[in-house]
Order: sequence, then C-alpha cells, then structure tokens
Amino acid sequence: MRIRVISNLIVVMACALCAGLVYTQIVNYKKYATLSLTNRVRLVPIEGMRGNFYDRNGIRLVDNRPSFDVIVMPQELENSMTTLSRVAALVGMQPRDIFASVEKNYTAPFAPITVKEDIDKKTAITLEEQAFSLPGVMVKATPKREYRYRDAASHIVGYVGEISKDELDRLRGYGYQMRDRIGKTGLEKQYDNYIRGEEGGMQLEVNNRGYFIKSLGTKEAVAGKDLFLTVDIRLQQYIDELFAGKAGACVVMDVRTGEVLALVSRPGFDPNMFADRERSGEVTALLGDPSHPLLNRAAAGTYPLGSVFKPIVAIAALEKKKISADDRFYCGGTYTLGGQLFNCWDEEGHKDQDVREGLKNSCNVFFYQVGRLVGIDDMSSFAQRFGFGTPTGIDLPGEASGFVPNRLWKRLAKKEPWFEGDTVNLAIGQGYLLVTPLQVGRMMAAIGNGGNLVQPYLVRRIGDVEVHTIKSRPIGISKKCLDIVKGGLRRVVEDDSGTGRRARVEGLRIAGKTGTAQDPSGPSHAWFAGFSPVDDPRIAVVVCIEHGGKGGLEACEFASAVFKKAREVGLL
Amino acid sequence: MREFEDLDRVLLFLVLVIFLIGLCCIWSASNNRGLEIMERFVTRQAFWMLIGLVILLPLFVLIDYQKIIDFGYVMYVLGLLLLCLVLVMGRIRLGAQRWFSIAGFSVQPSEFYKIIYIITVTSYLGHTRSEIATARGLIVPLLLTVLPFLLIIAQPDLGTALILIPVFFAMLFVAGARVLHLLGLILMGVGASPLFWHCLKAYQKKRLLVFLNPDIDPLGAGYTVIQSKIAIGSGGLFGKGWLAGTQNQLNFLPERHTDFIFSVIGEEWGLLGAVVLIGLYCWLLKRGIMIIEGTTDIYGKLLGTGIITMLSFQICVNIAMTMGLMPVVGVPLPLMSYGGSSLWTTIIAIALLLNVGMRRTRF
Repeated sequence: MRIRVISNLIVVMACALCAGLVYTQIVNYKKYATLSLTNRVRLVPIEGMRGNFYDRNGIRLVDNRPSFDVIVMPQELENSMTTLSRVAALVGMQPRDIFASVEKNYTAPFAPITVKEDIDKKTAITLEEQAFSLPGVMVKATPKREYRYRDAASHIVGYVGEISKDELDRLRGYGYQMRDRIGKTGLEKQYDNYIRGEEGGMQLEVNNRGYFIKSLGTKEAVAGKDLFLTVDIRLQQYIDELFAGKAGACVVMDVRTGEVLALVSRPGFDPNMFADRERSGEVTALLGDPSHPLLNRAAAGTYPLGSVFKPIVAIAALEKKKISADDRFYCGGTYTLGGQLFNCWDEEGHKDQDVREGLKNSCNVFFYQVGRLVGIDDMSSFAQRFGFGTPTGIDLPGEASGFVPNRLWKRLAKKEPWFEGDTVNLAIGQGYLLVTPLQVGRMMAAIGNGGNLVQPYLVRRIGDVEVHTIKSRPIGISKKCLDIVKGGLRRVVEDDSGTGRRARVEGLRIAGKTGTAQDPSGPSHAWFAGFSPVDDPRIAVVVCIEHGGKGGLEACEFASAVFKKAREVGLL
Repeated sequence: MREFEDLDRVLLFLVLVIFLIGLCCIWSASNNRGLEIMERFVTRQAFWMLIGLVILLPLFVLIDYQKIIDFGYVMYVLGLLLLCLVLVMGRIRLGAQRWFSIAGFSVQPSEFYKIIYIITVTSYLGHTRSEIATARGLIVPLLLTVLPFLLIIAQPDLGTALILIPVFFAMLFVAGARVLHLLGLILMGVGASPLFWHCLKAYQKKRLLVFLNPDIDPLGAGYTVIQSKIAIGSGGLFGKGWLAGTQNQLNFLPERHTDFIFSVIGEEWGLLGAVVLIGLYCWLLKRGIMIIEGTTDIYGKLLGTGIITMLSFQICVNIAMTMGLMPVVGVPLPLMSYGGSSLWTTIIAIALLLNVGMRRTRF
C-alpha cells in the first residue's frame, strides 16, 4: 500500500533529524558551548590605582585624588534627550556636547560613559540629590592623578597619558592593554611597571543586547607601588622659583652617593593638564612651544661647557706629569697660535700663575698652554673618564650622552685633521664639546668625593624595597692631584679676586668653577658648578642658565642661593 | 455512541503530552532573566488549548467527516476570499500581511486554510477516483493548489505555502496517481523555480542565501540560525536544565517561543530531551498512519494522508531549520510553538484524524 511509503519516509526523516542532533549536540558540543559562554559573559576591567610619589622627607608629591565624574549608564538611561539636557544644564555644558560625547564613547550598554570629568563638589551633591529623577546618570568618584607641586618637579615626575599604538605593540606581552594609562615621561615612565596598579576585573553576565544581568565575580584591582624619591621638594621648589622666567637647568646631587636632591629644568609644565580632558588646548600649545618646556634640560639638554671644563684639563696635565703644582705660566691677555690670536677673557692678562691661580682666575691663556701640553688625546680621554660623552645612567628616560670630540671623529666626520687651534679651544671648554648639566654635576661630585664617578639616581625605594645600591667607580686619579685642583676651585669662590666669589655663602666653605659658554645662536650660557663643604664635600650644585651671560655673575649668585637653601633644609 | 469505542485515546494522550512539554518550553522562553517578562504567553497558550479541547475537538470529532467534506468547496471559496481580504486589510507584522486583528487577537487565516485545502482536495479526488491515473485528472487538483499557494506566497508566508506542495503530492500519490505523472509535475516545478525565485521578496531571497552560508550576515538574517545552533549545540547530551538555558534566558534567541521553540528544548533538555520529543512525534504520526491503514474509506484515507503529511512536514522542516539544516521559512512546530492559529489548526487536524478513526467500521 502506498501509505507505507509515506510512513517509511517519516521514519527516515526522524532518523535524519536525530543524526543532525547528535552532530550538533555531541560532535560539535565544545564549539557551541564556548560560543554560548562568550555570548553571555563580558569582562569589565577595573583600573588599579597608580602608586604615590614621596620626596626624601615623606612629603607627598604625586597621588590620586577623587575626581567627581558624571557618568551615564546607557542601559539605564530613560528619556535620554530630556535627562541628558537636564544634566547638561546642571554641569554647565551644551546639550549637544553631551549628546555627542555619549554617542562617541558608547561601547556597550553596561559600559559607563564619562560625559563630564571633575565637577565641583557642590554640583556633585546636587546631581546626587536629583539622582532619583535622573535614571542612568551617576556621579562617580574616580581616582585622578594629581601632581601636587605642578610644574616645580614636572621633569622628574613626568606625566601619564593613554597608551599609544607603538607602546602597545612593544608592551602588549607585559599586560598592557588598549586604553591603558601609561607613564609618558619622567619617573611615571621609568617606573611605570611598578607604579601601575594591577588591573582587576568584573565578569558580567549580559543578555543579547549586552545589558547587564548579574555579576559573576570580581577580581579586585591592586594598587601600584609607591615611589620614594631622593629629591627634597623644598629645595626643588625653591630652585624652580629662582629661575624666575629664565630658561636653564640646575642639579643638586649628593657627591658621595649620587642621590639627586633637586633636578630643575626650566621652562616647565604642569603635568596635571595631561590628566584633564578640558585642558587639551593647553597641551597642544605646550607641544608647539618653541622654548620646549617638555625637554628635560638637566638630563637631555646638551650645552657647550666653557670654563667649567678647565679643572679636567688641569687634572689631565697633573696626572700626566705635563705640569707640576708649582709650574707657572704667563698670561699677557692674548695668545698667538699659527698667526691667529686667542684672547683671555681679561684683556689685561693674569701675569704669572700656577695651576691654582689659573683656575681661580679662569685664565684662558694659562689653559691654552696647558691644554697644548696635554694634547687632544689625553684631554679627550680624561673628559670621558669623568663621564662626558656617555649618559650618567640616571633613572629617567631619554637622557642625552653629550659629546666629547677626538682626533678620529674629526677625521671621519669633518674630513679634516685635528688642529692645534681645536686643542686650544677644547682646553677652555669650547668647540665641539657638548655636555648635560647632570654630567657636570657628576664631574663635580667626582672631584669632590676623591675621584669616584657616581651614578645619579632619583628613586631610593619602591614600595617596601630599597632599590638603589650606590653605584660608583673610581676614576683612578691620585688624591694629591685632586687636592691641588680642589685648592684651585676653593680659591675660585673664597678668594676676593676669584671668578666665582659671588657664589660665597656666609659660614659655608664652597669650591666651584664658573663658565661662560659661547653659543653661536645667542648670548653666552652662564655656568656654575661647585661643591660644599670643601674638606668633606656632601653636595654638588650645577647651575646652567641659558643665555645667562657671564658665569661669574648670575650663575654664581644663583648657586649661592641654592647652597644657602640646601643648608636651611638640612642637607649641609 | 458506539463510535467512541474506536476513539484513539493514545493519540489524544500524545497530543496532551507534547502540548504540556511545549507549555513548559514557552514558560521557560518567557521567563526572561533580562527585561520584559512575558508570562501571558503561557496563560494564553493554555487558554487556546482549553478552547481547542472543549469546543473545536468535540466539534470536529462529533460531526461526521463525510459531512465536513461535503462543505469542502464552499469552505475553499470562502477561504480564498479571506486570503484575498487579509492582503487588503490584514495587519502588517514583521514585514508580512498575514493576520486579522480580532478583539485584540491576531488570527492567521493561512494556517486554517491548510485544513480547508486538504478537505477540498480530498473531496475532489474522492469524486474523480477513476480519472486520477490519467494526466488530465491532475489538472483540477493542480489548479486547486496553485490558487491558495499564490495568495499565501503574496502575504508573504513562504512556510505555509510550501507545506501545500508535499501535501498535494502525498494525496495524489495515495489516491493512485501514476508516479510518472507526479515526477513530471516535479520536473515542471523545478523548471519554473527561477520564475518563483524572481517573485520572492528580498528578505526571503536573503534567507535562502543565508541558509547556504549563515556567516554572510551574522547580525542580520543569519543571526537567528547562528544563535539557534549555538543554543542547541551548547545543550549537549543532558542540556543546561529547565529555565537555565542562557541562550534562551538571556534573550539571545529571537522568536524562541514561536518558530524556534525547539532550540529551547535542545538547549535546556539536551540531546535526550530532543530525541524523546522527536520520538513522541513519531509515535503520534504512527498512530495517524494506523488510522489511515485501518479505514477502507478513500475519503478517510486521503484526509488522513493530507493531515499526516502536513504535520510531519511541519515538524521536520521546523526542527531542521532550528539546526540550520534547512532555510528559515517560518513554519511553527505543531503543538509546541506559541500561537493560537497554529494550535487550533493542529487540534482540528488531529480531531479530523480521530474522526476518521472512529468511523472506520461504518462502511
């Protein structure tokens, strides 16, 4: 009978359906179970709080303050037009700005959108009071990076910003993710890995529209570690004010350990502006500022050194036995070499001088002669022994190495031999030599501490762990030689005829050297580098004032004020 | 009433069991952990079932099916008028004009028309039994099919229209048409299919293309199939448990209380539940086949064949569709899917089967 055919067909179809079910539910079970899980579970990250910064006395430099942000939960928003308009009126925004913000930042219904950051407390309270009639609008206190000393320590602490594509490519393997905030410069960048909190997360169950249904679990975020700095913020702030609008850099360093007590670069910037969406205009202006406020002049600015280089020449000459402590050279105000005239800074000349007097007078003619005796090769190698031409290794990103010229370099780069005129120029710190203020500070520290080149550092403790062991290596200069040069440097400040006499501080014994570095682009840069106390040095101070004229004037007075302040805060 | 001795109580029992399983699934499908809570689906479905059991079932069991068949042509014409009317003044929902709004309820005339169609074809084939073996004898049944087919396609309701085709062939086959003639008709149909494709609405074409590859439009036309496959597949052997299917509860499955109710079974009750359900359907169909085999009346046989074919085709297409084995054509799962029109149509169909079974000894 034909009905049998239909009956059999039904059985065949039923078997086919069962086979299909087995294929879908047993064979492909894993695949679909995973898909079902990813369908319904979302991970919402919770940002870990960044660690605080403290100065050497425990004064808080950087922390996170609560910022009252207005956030909108898209899934709870009712009558979005009227609600958002009312919010706009309360926080003083244009309604269309708030709509645009919601639209632009929408990612998922359960993901809060920040429409206005950092409203004042009064507005926050008003909003909270009206919360009932504003469904989906909330005030949330989020941690916001606060740089308490604004631009005073800007180049030390740096700032944070959203991770860039390059950084993400480089750091993805280390737990960094899109939209993370990351240190961009300064210590924020250098120690980002320690400061950054460990991100927590919430597992949410969502429905088909991505609406939050319930929380499946939370992993608390872990706050980052605090940084304890070697810097004394009182001194730092004082120096910052001393610059009073001028550009330049100043470094104060412990000569024995390399601890950086102050590191100022001017002009500076307010790191807070990078954490504030509404100050993006200022950021743009900052980036385009021709005076380069973001450049850390202390560690990454390179300058001609001028006469501050003379102690190195003196040391090289004494070490290499080219001169003895009592050898005298005559200065008549000018020096002739191959028919060319080289001037001393004092037209009248310094007459007969030994090395101490040469330093005291900062006599160019003295050092022309001594420099020629030493020769370019030893001058260059001694400059390198004192750390010029290589980064100091300070714990800041982007440090410059400066430059020490030599015979081979000139042959290769300039296609010229090294001339005696070059030697003469280098002997007074002019010509091709380029240094950073930090390198000069280290040089002075090495002279002061008896010939040990220290590695400067800013962070002594991360969380509970002491991180810095003092790194120094002997340069291999005899104590006798150093004592001769120190004697000269002491007379620079202490002698009434010393070039650095304006650096004097009542009751402090200071040694140092002034410098007036010629810069083809404008007036000379004024330098002073010195240390105190002379007999048992503790701190070295370097001042470099861009286009500041003669080192013996402004730079000396600046340094004098710094020494005085250092004593006041107990560093001397 | 002597006939009631032959009332197939097993069939009736199976209907109730499957309906109750369906009600559990609708409950689960409307017990949404998300936003809207749609408990009224369960009460409405139960209410319709109650009316079906109290009014429709007795009505179509007590009136002799021979008398019903006598009204075939009248109902056919009236039905066609209704199908025309729904095109003019029906309610538009989900891009289709299939429903009349009556007292707040939506009535889908094309659902009921399947039964009318079966009755009419039965009536014609019964009268012209002797001509069925000739090619000419197939012309009128073909016309009887084409008219409602086109009207239903126009709504558009591809699923319901397509059901008419296997029903048509099965009834001709059982009536004694030559296999050669039937093959000829099928060839003609295949030949005309490019024309048919041309007449399809854009969304229907899209559905067919999406069936071939659901991933071409995972958030649009392919979304339902993908989510349904995920639901069934993630159910595994034992399922996630009643009210615990995340695909269902979290609203990832659209249309889960109507056309995709089987995905809920698959997800929450697993392979075991799904196979048991298919087994119950097979048993139900088997009881139907037994009724057809038990009657000597050609009208009863043809009526039964039409109904069994309709039910089995709907079951098969619906389940295959939820697993992505067939294109999504909008066919409800008999007795399971939420919807009054579909439920009542199935109840009437079952009642007519019982009717045939009760009166098999009279001739």
